Amino acid sequence: MKADAVQAHPATLLALVIFTLVSLGLGVVANLVASRKAGFLQKYFLGNRSLGALAVALTAAVMSGGTFMGFPSLVYSFGWVVGLWIASYMVAPLTVLGVLGKRIGQLSRKTGAITLPDLLRERFGSPALGLLTSLLVVFFLTCNLVPQFKAGGVIMKIVLPSSAYTWASSDDLAVTVDAGYIVGLAIFTATVVAYTAYGGFLAAVWTDVFQSLIMAVGVILLFPMAMAASGGLGAATTRGMELAGDGFAFGPGAGRDFHPLTLALSFFVMWAITGMGQPSTMVRLMAFKDSRTLRWSILYLTIYNVLIYVPLVFIFIASRSILPDLERPDEVMPRLVIFLANPYVAGLILAAPYGAVMSTVSGFLLIVASGLVRDVYQRFLRPKASEREIEWASYSATVGIGLLAAAIALNPPKYLQLIVVFASSGMASAFLMPALMGAFWRRATAKGALAAMSVGAGVTLALYAYGSYLGLRQEDQGIGPRPQMFGAYYLLGFEPCVWGLLSSLASGVVVSLLTKAPDPARVSLLFDAQPADAPAPASLGRHQPAPTAGGPDAAPTA
Amino acid sequence: MPDVTDPVVRHSRREAIIIGLAWLASTGWCCFYSWWAGYGSADHPLTKADVRPIWGIPSWAFWGYIVPWGVCAIFTIWFAGFFMVDDDLGPDHAAELEGDIREGVVDEG
Repeated sequence: MKADAVQAHPATLLALVIFTLVSLGLGVVANLVASRKAGFLQKYFLGNRSLGALAVALTAAVMSGGTFMGFPSLVYSFGWVVGLWIASYMVAPLTVLGVLGKRIGQLSRKTGAITLPDLLRERFGSPALGLLTSLLVVFFLTCNLVPQFKAGGVIMKIVLPSSAYTWASSDDLAVTVDAGYIVGLAIFTATVVAYTAYGGFLAAVWTDVFQSLIMAVGVILLFPMAMAASGGLGAATTRGMELAGDGFAFGPGAGRDFHPLTLALSFFVMWAITGMGQPSTMVRLMAFKDSRTLRWSILYLTIYNVLIYVPLVFIFIASRSILPDLERPDEVMPRLVIFLANPYVAGLILAAPYGAVMSTVSGFLLIVASGLVRDVYQRFLRPKASEREIEWASYSATVGIGLLAAAIALNPPKYLQLIVVFASSGMASAFLMPALMGAFWRRATAKGALAAMSVGAGVTLALYAYGSYLGLRQEDQGIGPRPQMFGAYYLLGFEPCVWGLLSSLASGVVVSLLTKAPDPARVSLLFDAQPADAPAPASLGRHQPAPTAGGPDAAPTA
Repeated sequence: MPDVTDPVVRHSRREAIIIGLAWLASTGWCCFYSWWAGYGSADHPLTKADVRPIWGIPSWAFWGYIVPWGVCAIFTIWFAGFFMVDDDLGPDHAAELEGDIREGVVDEG
């Protein structure tokens, strides 16, 4: 049987529908249960800083459409070396949650921040920094949303019976329009936007936890099926080498230098270090209950990563021998599940990638919406907006961003994982160094943070722009994925995130040292032990004696 | 002069340095061992005879990232379970900031 012809049984669709309804239900319950004591924004975008250990761990698991769609396609195409590509997840729970966790949690409480732009703005006392952070968050996360929407649309298309969408395309249109994908995308968009907009942060977190548990069950069920069908890892490796070449079992990968040493080093930076700089991570670090919760979340995430990622490598090594002739490697996960499992089990397992995509989208939608509502609308346009007005602005922003990303996903690029990597690189290059400087360096200045953010983002964008230009000209750099419309330029063989982070660090340090030292009172408030009634930095001016001309407070120094 | 630095800052800094060293060790071992033991080249192509599977896994992948993954998990359990300090993160000033924004009196430093 030709692998691309594999189509789901109606029971698979039924299982996915039940899963979707449970997610929607959780969204409704989250909205009803959320405490009304705090302000709307803190409840809607931060869940009143009430996250427990399991919620922090599973929502920081970095599962996404890339995990279940893009990553499997890379293992299917290039073989065992892709395990090294993802291997930094072994240390990611420590780096992602442990390095900045307590300090971001503390700074967000001290400043009263509920979004990342809020946090950086209040830490450095710079509205310009807050605005730039908001704009970059909106840009990069919208880019990242597009492949997630594509992944959701693809899964839904595969499980939908063809009768569900043949009415949507005439014979003429059918040549150019993938009606199944468009109908799948529409259903996915309506579902995820509805529960996210209605339930806010807690809905995103609860559904994320539910979906993460389903993902774990899905992977654990799929693993023995894939091993049995392929005859075990040894047989699958041998067959993969026959199909894809000897490189399937070795580095730098089957068919081309997919993952040379420089990129192996880059991807230990990519996942373990850039993960610290993702807005979605930092929001979780602002939302956990206490530092004991943080420690337990590191433990849970460590166990979860071992249970998910190592089996995923094994499963998709086996998939090459089970489905040897896939035309679209991005679809290997759903095709494999439908091929291997009985329809009801397939529905449950397919809920795993679908859940991963839904939870990623819901989290990203809220971060983008919070950036627009809190940091642009409320801070710059309508500071005196009523609670009701802010509520409606939040709902509208969540729905609007969702529809925009879905519209762009109508014509997405081929490899999902490339855009995920681009957006992750860009965000880390922009936000990680300002966050590290803000957390650990007293001498860091607002101008230094601005320089770090703009140079880091600029370098990453420039390297991707040049890589895409080479791709358009079909000039092959010889490493990484094959040239296509969108891609990275690997300067000296390294992924752009490495250059983005280094340039961000250098510019942040140099500009900080060249500019006037920050207000020592603000720095002391954020770095030194304080009495319980110490003010937030935003209120500092009303708690300090007015400086006298020429007095010690007139020209602050470090 | 007594050190007035917030204990959360001191503990976080110490923990961040140890995590950084753990990242460096895992990166160094996984990348360089895998490159040394499992990477072929035009001059030195690897073949089926070089797979030397352990439980079906090519030996370079087994020692290069599967075993280190287990070691790293054990280290993490010790670090988060027994080494990290539980700190008080202090009161939440979100309502204060929200009020300051509405009143237009935010001090931007």
